[in-house]
Amino acid sequence: MAVYKRRYNPYGGTLTPQWSRFFVLTRYAFAELFKSRFFVILLILSLVPILFFAGYIFVANNKTVQLLMQMRSAGLFSVENEYFIMIMVAQTQVAFLLNCWVGPVLIAGDLTNGALPLFLSRPFSRADYVLGKLAALGLLLSAVTWIPGLLLFSLQAGLARNGWIWSHMWMVVPIIFCSAIWILMLSLISLAVSASVKLRIVATGVIFISFFIPAGLGEMYNSIMGSYWGRLLNFTEMFRLILAKGFRERTGLLGPLSRNEIPVPAAWGVLILVCVLSVVILNARLKAREVVRG
Amino acid sequence: MMNATIELNGLEVQLGNRTILHGLTGVLKSRAIGLLGPNGAGKSTLINTLLGFHSPSKGSARVLGLDSHANGNALRSLVGYMPENEAFISKMSGVRFVRYMAEISGLPPDQAMERAHEAFVYVGLGEARYRPVGTYSLGMKQLAKLAQAIAHGPKLLILDEPTNGMDPPARKRLIELIREIREASDICLLLSSHLLHDVEETCDEVLILRNGQIASICNLAEERRANRKFLELETIGAQATFTSTLESLGCECAVFSNGRIKVVMPDSVEIREVFKVAADRGVQIRRMNHRRDSLEDIFLNAMEQTGAADGRI
Repeated sequence: MAVYKRRYNPYGGTLTPQWSRFFVLTRYAFAELFKSRFFVILLILSLVPILFFAGYIFVANNKTVQLLMQMRSAGLFSVENEYFIMIMVAQTQVAFLLNCWVGPVLIAGDLTNGALPLFLSRPFSRADYVLGKLAALGLLLSAVTWIPGLLLFSLQAGLARNGWIWSHMWMVVPIIFCSAIWILMLSLISLAVSASVKLRIVATGVIFISFFIPAGLGEMYNSIMGSYWGRLLNFTEMFRLILAKGFRERTGLLGPLSRNEIPVPAAWGVLILVCVLSVVILNARLKAREVVRG
Repeated sequence: MMNATIELNGLEVQLGNRTILHGLTGVLKSRAIGLLGPNGAGKSTLINTLLGFHSPSKGSARVLGLDSHANGNALRSLVGYMPENEAFISKMSGVRFVRYMAEISGLPPDQAMERAHEAFVYVGLGEARYRPVGTYSLGMKQLAKLAQAIAHGPKLLILDEPTNGMDPPARKRLIELIREIREASDICLLLSSHLLHDVEETCDEVLILRNGQIASICNLAEERRANRKFLELETIGAQATFTSTLESLGCECAVFSNGRIKVVMPDSVEIREVFKVAADRGVQIRRMNHRRDSLEDIFLNAMEQTGAADGRI
């Protein structure tokens, strides 16, 4: 089918492995995202807090700088589990905002003009499709959560020496796993909303609502019934509960979590349930063809 | 023995509580197959089932020897699909859109890019390939859909109403392209259309659906051959001796009023021999119509037959 020949020829070249094809979607999603100047600015701003956190770690481990700043005092600069909780809380909120901007367009763009049958008429399943889009969000949100978290952990380990890394190695697990559940939940909610709502501004609103309305309803339930189980509907609080448990936090840094009435497995259950519900919505929305039931 | 392009074995498809396809059974062996039927006959459902979008509730369908349900992935790797409805990513440039689709079909990025350019130039959109697809006219969008369907070099091209919404020159160009694609390679073609003329120009075999059932499977090439020497004559003169002489040559004749004669000739008899016999017998041939059953005749005939199953016309 060479241009100059102007005739059709079948393709006889090599093919990429089938398992890797979902990544084509991820690559194209990133290419489209990075065309937007606003997105690039947002991403840079998302990484700015990391510089401050890194600066703090540097100062905390540098006595000369502390002397120069006349701030040398025992315990003033402490890089322990509470500090990493702070980092994780800050960056997961940043991830939430980033997700609200990026997530709504990922699937809606394909559904608006009916491109989905073109994807699914190839050796490419709906699972591959979701995986490709999920990978785009997952990689992006990882870049502002657990990856900088691990880099800061490494920085602290490198500067502190004296075996700090070995006594704090356990923190690697909550850094990765707590971020992972948050990223997975955010991504799946975003994709489910993107598959259901075509307008970006409305989809962004729906993502916000999906976090705040259940939390409000939960509080109403608590007030009326004199219970605390309504907090299960506050996904952010459930995540912080998991975070506090993961980082062995017992000082009440995360406020209401110090009450700890909700068992941690229940918090995990809620977040996993939200993920499952999002997958159910995706399964219902991502069809190659509309089926009219009658 | 030539493998069947499409083989339907009691295929039944239910969507919701409705049965859309009722036990379709038939074998289509030609390289270019037309799918005809009125609205709601089940054409798109059949295409979607062949692509593996719908699961059969009973029976099975095999395409190029692969079961559409059990070997869906392997089958889809052989298929290029041009859907009936809008199907594009509006903000992407045409060539990028086709490249994207080719990469999902498994072409490496550099090959996909090359094939996307080639496909775009081939369908006649070379000048517009860097424009966002959303800005294309309806005809251009149809061509872009065709480009994405052929870019990865499929073995079977499924075209669902490809000329929908196109003006006559664009429609003619698209039909020519489809014929070129068919003739330039060993690609198989499944074309669904409301326009009998489109099917007649591009296909060798036709599957006619009606109310989710097969009204007819017709091999157009055989029909053309069978009707090749079917003559309608208007004559003046000694009809009896004329027809008896033709019959002695092996022709079958039917005489009607006003000198009208229908003649079915065997392969061994040429038309010039009819003229010769007429001249010898002093018969004037005032009018000769060398006609064959058009697809329209075949289609209307199939529509009239109620409950026709898998019979050949």
